[in-house]
Amino acid sequence: MSDQVSHMPSPPSALSRLSGLATPGVTAVVLVTLLLFLPALLGGSWTFTLGLCFANSIGVLAVSLLVRYGGEVSIGHTFFTALGAYSVGVLDTRYGISLWASVPLALVLGVAFGLLFAWPSRNLHGIYLAVTTLALALAVPEMINNFDGLTGGYEGLYVATPFLPGVDMGAQRYYVALAMLVLVCFAVARLRLSRQGMALLLAKTHPAAADAFGTRRVWARISVMGISGGVGALCGATLAFSGSTVSPGGFTFWQAIFLLVGSVVSFYGLSLPRVLIGGAFVTLVPQLLSASGAWIPVLYGLALLGMILIGHYMPRIRKALNRNRETG
Amino acid sequence: MTVWDSLLYDLFPLIWSGMITGCLYALGALGLVMIFKCSKVVNFSHGNVAGLTAFLVYGLSSGVLMSLSWGAAVLVAMLAAVAIAFLIYSIISPVVFESDLTSTIATLGFGLIAQGVTLLMFGADIVALDLPIPRFAFSVLGLFVTGYDLTVLAVAIVTIGALFIVIDYTKLGIAFRAISENPFAAEVCGLNLRSVHYFAWITAAILGVIGALLIVPTTFLSVTTVATFMLQAFAAAVIGGFASLPGALVGGVLIGILMNLFTFYVSPEYSSTFLLGVILVALNIFPNGILQKVGGSRV
Repeated sequence: MSDQVSHMPSPPSALSRLSGLATPGVTAVVLVTLLLFLPALLGGSWTFTLGLCFANSIGVLAVSLLVRYGGEVSIGHTFFTALGAYSVGVLDTRYGISLWASVPLALVLGVAFGLLFAWPSRNLHGIYLAVTTLALALAVPEMINNFDGLTGGYEGLYVATPFLPGVDMGAQRYYVALAMLVLVCFAVARLRLSRQGMALLLAKTHPAAADAFGTRRVWARISVMGISGGVGALCGATLAFSGSTVSPGGFTFWQAIFLLVGSVVSFYGLSLPRVLIGGAFVTLVPQLLSASGAWIPVLYGLALLGMILIGHYMPRIRKALNRNRETG
Repeated sequence: MTVWDSLLYDLFPLIWSGMITGCLYALGALGLVMIFKCSKVVNFSHGNVAGLTAFLVYGLSSGVLMSLSWGAAVLVAMLAAVAIAFLIYSIISPVVFESDLTSTIATLGFGLIAQGVTLLMFGADIVALDLPIPRFAFSVLGLFVTGYDLTVLAVAIVTIGALFIVIDYTKLGIAFRAISENPFAAEVCGLNLRSVHYFAWITAAILGVIGALLIVPTTFLSVTTVATFMLQAFAAAVIGGFASLPGALVGGVLIGILMNLFTFYVSPEYSSTFLLGVILVALNIFPNGILQKVGGSRV
């Protein structure tokens, strides 16, 4: 008891009272309101880039979801983004069907393939899934180029059918991406509070306890990959619509690793501001450094390592500082 | 008659050359398995670092950086590989003891840096890097055997033999096996985990360089060649169970032969997809590796 008393917080200052107001929900609402009005202030090309940021944020969220709920790492999420993007692209260019039908299709395909690829390594250490996804990432460009009858090969596909007919296409490409991102973030936040989400987390952190409560570890592991694959496919679908073109260049092995880097840079965060940071990193760094391409992998590598080392040393440094403050 | 002919003239040479490249996949896989066995980290930077050192050999021997003899260039590149492995492990070792997942992700960061450095130093061009070996060829029982084949076989046998002797009979090898079996007990008995991890990482880097130098003459050297070569090594390691050195050897040879047969009889355009299929099937049939009986799961 005395321990608790000695740690009583000092009277809140104005600043901490303000930051106390900023619950995750409030921050998200403020952020979304800001983003809603941003296109009015920015030019067309920035609006376009921001749309891509939102789409990539969903991809970063998919990777983070797998790390947080499954404790597993994927370096092959371009498979799922490609799946979603080509669902939208093919339905659009071949049949003229808009997002109303292609997004649900992308989601179903993403979940199905996520389950399929998680199944073989269901009983094994997490690295087996990582190696499987490595092969997956390298196989994606090959598949796209060889199924060129469907995918358009190197030239790719152009997505032009509007989501809402009669509304300016540039605005649609921005707001559909934003809406998708907000929806996915909201769904993930709800998952955290749901019984299923709790069960998944329990199966990750305390497998024996989860077994005792009737959650099978195998079920938890493959369903996390299914959810993550579905979210990845939504990222691809959004990317296709907001980026307007779908081509193999967007689904290379490096793109897959960049999604993981984005996830690490956002500290595997699942909240809207965090995934926006990750998505912005993935989208903006290649654009800013487009003149000096060889520096991009170096910078990504350094960012990845830097964040991991910060994540490792920061709690220790903070603890040491706190100890000093208490003794001093 | 025709079936027999096609077997004689296609199948046997394909199996032979598959076995030769398979030995190289095994060299790569052995490095991955050594690192995973003791430090539980999957080293995704293996291919890119080996690629960078292969480029160093090219740069040092061709006059791009220096014009040393081939042997001296290889020696310098080996030292560089050892230094890089030492550096990588030194940076991530605090993370290794905390979370194998995070340290695995960190190796991807090193892979990216190695890739970028290769691009910055040597550009994205494709170069040729040959081995200074006598060129001769003869044919035995319909097999066309070249000097390259025999060199690869000899180097692989000597390297792998030496590795197994070290691991089976020396104190270091016993320490390595003890730590792979039970790190906590090994530490209680007074073994230094870190120094054995260094041994594994440095040995793996040397194996990677040897594998890279031997594979390059069959294709050419570009930023991605060696990294792609390492996907085969990953597949070989998975077939072997990822924690078994003999398994990695068998897996490497098997992958070499399977890849050769697939590219010849089916299609060379789907090789990565084929590898993906092999990995998925192997995980289903031999979850603990091809050399172990299917039994309890290992989560």
